[in-house]
Amino acid sequence: MIGIVSYGFYIPKYRVTVDEIGSMWGKNPSEISASLNVIEKTVPAQDEDTLSMAYEASSMALGENIVPKKDIGVVYVGSETHPYAVNPTSTILAEFLGITGEYLASDTQFACKAATGAIISAQGLIASGFTKNALVVGSDRATGKPHDALEYTAASASVSLLLGQTNVAVEIVDALSFSSDTPDFWRREGIRYPSHGGRFTGKPSYFHHVYSASKKLLDKNKLHPQDFAHCIFHMPNGKFPQVVSGMLGFTKEQTSQSLVVSLLGNSYTASALMGLVHVLDIAKPNDLIFMASFGSGAGSDAFVLKVTPEIVNVRKSLSTAMENKEYINYATYIKQMGLI
Amino acid sequence: MISPVKVWRRQKYIREHLGRVGTIVSWTNISVAGSYTKEFAPYPVVLVSFKKGDNMYGQLVDFKKSDLVIGKKVISILRKVRKPTDDSVIAYGIKFKPTS
Amino acid sequence: MSSIIGYYTTQFGELWDKSLFDLAREAISGVLQDCELEKNQIDAVFYGNMMAGVLENNLHGGAKIAQLLGTHVPIFRVESACASGGMAFHLAHNYILAGKAETVLVLGAEKMTDYPPEVVVQALAAAASGEEQEAGLTFAGLYALIANYYFSKYNVTEEDLAHVSVKNHFHGSLNEKAQFKNIITVQQVLKSSYVASPLKVLDSSPISDGACAVVITSNKQLLANAKNKVEILASEVATDALSLKDRAYFDRLEATSIAAKKAFEISKVKIEDINVAEVHDCFSIAEVLALEDIGFCKKGTGAKFVAGGKVTLGESSSFVVNTSGGLKAAGHPVGATGVKQIGEIFLQLTGRAQKRQVKNAHTGLAHNVGGSGGTVVVTILSNKN
Repeated sequence: MIGIVSYGFYIPKYRVTVDEIGSMWGKNPSEISASLNVIEKTVPAQDEDTLSMAYEASSMALGENIVPKKDIGVVYVGSETHPYAVNPTSTILAEFLGITGEYLASDTQFACKAATGAIISAQGLIASGFTKNALVVGSDRATGKPHDALEYTAASASVSLLLGQTNVAVEIVDALSFSSDTPDFWRREGIRYPSHGGRFTGKPSYFHHVYSASKKLLDKNKLHPQDFAHCIFHMPNGKFPQVVSGMLGFTKEQTSQSLVVSLLGNSYTASALMGLVHVLDIAKPNDLIFMASFGSGAGSDAFVLKVTPEIVNVRKSLSTAMENKEYINYATYIKQMGLI
Repeated sequence: MISPVKVWRRQKYIREHLGRVGTIVSWTNISVAGSYTKEFAPYPVVLVSFKKGDNMYGQLVDFKKSDLVIGKKVISILRKVRKPTDDSVIAYGIKFKPTS
Repeated sequence: MSSIIGYYTTQFGELWDKSLFDLAREAISGVLQDCELEKNQIDAVFYGNMMAGVLENNLHGGAKIAQLLGTHVPIFRVESACASGGMAFHLAHNYILAGKAETVLVLGAEKMTDYPPEVVVQALAAAASGEEQEAGLTFAGLYALIANYYFSKYNVTEEDLAHVSVKNHFHGSLNEKAQFKNIITVQQVLKSSYVASPLKVLDSSPISDGACAVVITSNKQLLANAKNKVEILASEVATDALSLKDRAYFDRLEATSIAAKKAFEISKVKIEDINVAEVHDCFSIAEVLALEDIGFCKKGTGAKFVAGGKVTLGESSSFVVNTSGGLKAAGHPVGATGVKQIGEIFLQLTGRAQKRQVKNAHTGLAHNVGGSGGTVVVTILSNKN
């Protein structure tokens, strides 16, 4: 059995509401929040970045040396906002965590699914005996272009998963990845803000890939939506995951616990994973959990996960952390994002 | 340019001092800053004392005004410490935040 | 035995037309005129300067001064942050005592206004430790940490501290070479904006340009003929950890107490004999600490001591502190300050301090600090000969 042995997360303390951003651009209050099903999003401090957040989440995951550092032979960091274009985040993270010498470090990028793809790779490295444990982190400090639709949801957070074969708390029963060349959202080298294809990001992109990966995985394992206690889908906004979950046959009740996007925004590579963390706040042993991420460009990684009795030893509380927040206005928001 | 070698040497030290809980011995709010930290001004800096008997400095972040008081418990965390120039590596270092 | 026989200071302030070496040239020719010497009578030069390397990429200042003087004598550049001037004087004095020379010129010079404030503030931080710089501490920030700690321990307020700058501006108004000659009030100090809380603009010495020079000699002929002459009874140095956080105390500069104790012992001068003192008031809290650590008043009482007029010209006849206006009002071109302090005592002890003359001043003390207290130089001078 290979799966999640421990996990950690980090959300910045600051929040800006969708209404606050909307009022900057002359929108009616609650017009945007209603259409996106997002109320507010996280905003990092000026001195936080993908690496510092990855460190916080990973420190929580590793705790007081839950496994010996030398057993962590693989470190993956998936992000759309790596601090460097050339220089790995994964080695900086590993060194601060005290993981040194004999380990494989790798940075990945595939829009919002950079980390979930790495889970599949890490699983293979554990199964082959290359390593006992692997650390997989999704971390993003996303900037939306001012006055663009994505400004309301682009947020920051990090989730860190320690994978292994001993004391597994969440088993990875099976995984499937579905990919194609679909340019729905992209950012060219040297260009500051990403661009997107508007409504093209919907049916042919998000929905096609998430639905395909999910359906193929369910069929392959001869499983049905009703077999699952919870489901999680990548959250670019509060509407898309609910629509695709309905398309697949999951209910509102199965989806609701995962929908952190309404209060945290879309933290890109940490998005689906943060939904998983929120589900793990309440998941019970033997619960089956379904998760499918989405990365523009495009692809989806789908997972069948099973909670084990070990969860009670490693469960964290995202709900409690979400209560510690401070609201800021638009000017402070763009100052903290470094746009002024 | 911030020397990449100095940043590299420093990071070994920083690693050992993350996650330490200490007490504020003195503090100041810097309004007039040097060029390296000007973009962060104003910002508070705290002098923190640890049980081991050693002391450290660092900016205080994620705080309320009422946290800036001698005797407050704080914890050391990892943040960026300087604005890098275009040709620099990023320097990460120790800052503090209130424990409660 | 060696004595000071001449002193000259340039104007301190924002001297746009003058470069560092324009100022050095003026101070050198000025002091030679003051003691009526020719440049070929100078056996060596000690040159105190902190920032030419950091700000202007100019080191090897000794050779530049050799070029200005047209000389081949030994020239030593000295750096101890803001104690560079006092340290240059200390080394010059010992050079003569060691018999290496008889007549030495001590120059302190600094050019700080060619760059915007944030660049200068960052350059000044070179006198602080790496950890202090990394934490974003400026010099004001370091002294502010001391001030906040001191306030809490001794129940002292910003208002108590404000009297220091008020006194120094009053003295500065009587000094034509001072950068600031305006009189200020306690209310004005309290209303000025914060630099690093609790220290405000009017608690802080300014960024200044300036140069000054003294000539010291042990030559019997020159001493016999000297129009003005003051004996150097002691020049002592003490050091402490560069980083404030690594020191034993946060409410005092131990190096001040150690250097002062040594100076009093060697000179056999008693503290109550001191009529005039120039102490290092880079920030108002620094003057308070100086008065306590040298021993003029008890620890924790320095602010009230100053506020009570105990060291103000006119209010006190026996002991006055910082008649030059201190660093606050006279200005603080860092490498020059230590020499200016000694020069001001020299003027007092030779009766040439004009409107700020302390009557019958016979023994004086100069106190020069490097950084937040990593180096201290204490000098005791007397005209009782």
